[in-house]
Amino acid sequence: MMQQMMRVSWRGVSPVIKWVEPVAEVRTLDQMPGPSAVRFVLDLLANRGLSRLHEMQVDGRRRFGPMWKASFGPVLTVHVAEPELIEQVLRQEGHTPMRSDISSWKDYRKHRGHGYGLLTAEGEEWQKIRSLLAKHMLRPKSVEAYDSTLNAVVTDLITKLKLRTQQNPHGVVSDIAAEFYRFGLEGISSVLFESRIGCLDAVVPVETERFIQSINTMFVMTLLTMAMPAWLHRLFPKPWRTFCQCWDYMFQFAKGHIDQRLKEEEEKLARGQEVEGRYLTYFLSRAGIPMKSVYSNVTELLLAGVDTISSTLSWSLYELSRHPEIQASLRSEVIKVLGDRRIPTAADVAAMPLMKAVIKEITRLYPVIPGNARVITDRNITVGGYVIPKKTLITLCHYATSRDPAQFSDPNSFTPQRWISRDEGNHPYSSLPFGVGKRSCIGRRIAELELYLALSRILLHYDVKPDPSSCVVRPMTRTILVPDREINLQFIEL
Amino acid sequence: MSFTMAAGRLVGLSLSRTSWILSRGANTSSKTLASPNKLSDPNNDLIRKRDITSCSVVQPLRSENKVTVNFINRDGEKITVKASPGDTILDVVVQQDLDIDGYGACEGTLACSTCHVIFEEETYKQLGPISDEEMDMLDLAYGLTDTSRLGCQICLTKSLDGMTVRVPESSADIRQSDGSA
Repeated sequence: MMQQMMRVSWRGVSPVIKWVEPVAEVRTLDQMPGPSAVRFVLDLLANRGLSRLHEMQVDGRRRFGPMWKASFGPVLTVHVAEPELIEQVLRQEGHTPMRSDISSWKDYRKHRGHGYGLLTAEGEEWQKIRSLLAKHMLRPKSVEAYDSTLNAVVTDLITKLKLRTQQNPHGVVSDIAAEFYRFGLEGISSVLFESRIGCLDAVVPVETERFIQSINTMFVMTLLTMAMPAWLHRLFPKPWRTFCQCWDYMFQFAKGHIDQRLKEEEEKLARGQEVEGRYLTYFLSRAGIPMKSVYSNVTELLLAGVDTISSTLSWSLYELSRHPEIQASLRSEVIKVLGDRRIPTAADVAAMPLMKAVIKEITRLYPVIPGNARVITDRNITVGGYVIPKKTLITLCHYATSRDPAQFSDPNSFTPQRWISRDEGNHPYSSLPFGVGKRSCIGRRIAELELYLALSRILLHYDVKPDPSSCVVRPMTRTILVPDREINLQFIEL
Repeated sequence: MSFTMAAGRLVGLSLSRTSWILSRGANTSSKTLASPNKLSDPNNDLIRKRDITSCSVVQPLRSENKVTVNFINRDGEKITVKASPGDTILDVVVQQDLDIDGYGACEGTLACSTCHVIFEEETYKQLGPISDEEMDMLDLAYGLTDTSRLGCQICLTKSLDGMTVRVPESSADIRQSDGSA
């Protein structure tokens, strides 16, 4: 209770006072500041703006305050860059929250006649799949069941890292994110199919590399195709064509694995053997979901499990290699909890506060989703004293709030301790790497578990140092936030 | 009746429509909670109910083992219900059709804090420990207090019999009352 009292006191503002204040003056979108259309397009297309979108959040808040409007391609969007205001938006998101009603991802599915997955479906269709999957993916008790599956994948990662370190005289592994992409894909595949697809084998399957490449290219093309007005698409059809080809391959990859897995189950049944799957594809296929929807959901879950894990794990080791004292403390914590054992379980992780703080701090500094969005379709809402008409695209500037010096002291420094001492006084909505509410990241707990298990084992095996010749790595937007160059690290066996 | 209920629960099967209605009939409350038309489609409610239950406690066989829970709703109204040990507070709200808009939006998967309730201090001390996952979500709750918990994480036990929980005002209520909604 003491712990909770401490938490409450820093939020001591009466909720009533917080909400009464905006009534004084209600303004319209016309009165909202923002860059001119020309300036914004120039920033986006000329100044490497697309890869700097996260920094443009910070610039926008400095220039215009906590709310501003801008036109992204043909779409007008209201930016919200203050935790209190993000909270106001999310509290009004409704029963089946919508991220965006216009998106190239949806266009592609319609164009090809594919189904929608959790990332692209809306309304009742979305709610049905969300309810079904959330109980297997988000409930802490359900997630614990994946620890042995994930530990087997981590074992392969450690073996692969050993191989890579032996290939370099100084034990340097170049482009660590590439290895973690494969780890992410193998991890989510094992959860989806309860079988392994060989991403961490010494020789990586060609399809795996092509799948990962398709994700990367698709993310680059997502922003480009959305920022381009229709007439520009007619002049330059290539981005949209490339975008579609990437998705085609991703759907084909997922379908191949699903069909193969379900065929195995059918053969078992035919032989009179019992079938008792504990994997997500099984839950989906047994729930009477149309196959079209199983394909699209699995495709989107595969996609969602790759960059997220890869970037977060890469940044974690990048920062830990530059903060050897924190790395040593974290290793001590893992050893203390495990005792003589070498492989942690989900239950062990609960006793690792520094581990959790490290991941919170990494996702604060490098949120994989730097900006999220909401559209309230059925009513106007009031946010920060502005009436936002229904159907307006609202951009939630999470990167700007999680790097705001008013929320976090020395906001650009890696300081996991701030999450343990909790004396920052930051607003609880200032860092929301997974979002919040019923449309928040469904893979959150599996991802967290995967990260804890991987990080524990890597630190038990290796002292991780920066590559002596490497330089500073910064985040870059590619729809999602990724490192702007290769992260190279030296692994010294303990 | 109670045998059907208990057997159904023990083996984790859906209850028959008859036992569902009967079991609802057995729940006493100080006001009429369910409109008759809500009974016409029990299957939907049932599915939701079974999905939400997260406590793996074997249900008791006799109705005298029920626990009384008093809710103080957002408008200050007191609602008294009887519920089974092992159910969560969220289960009770769903099963009893308590009219609390937006309550338990994420269906007990710890992805939101809409099932936030406030306990009396003495009761709060009896509750089980808070997991990190609950703590993280509780942080985001509206109108957080020293004795706040998430209803989806609180399982009823005999020792909590007669407790009173308060449902805090939601942000929407306040906006409506000051006219800014």
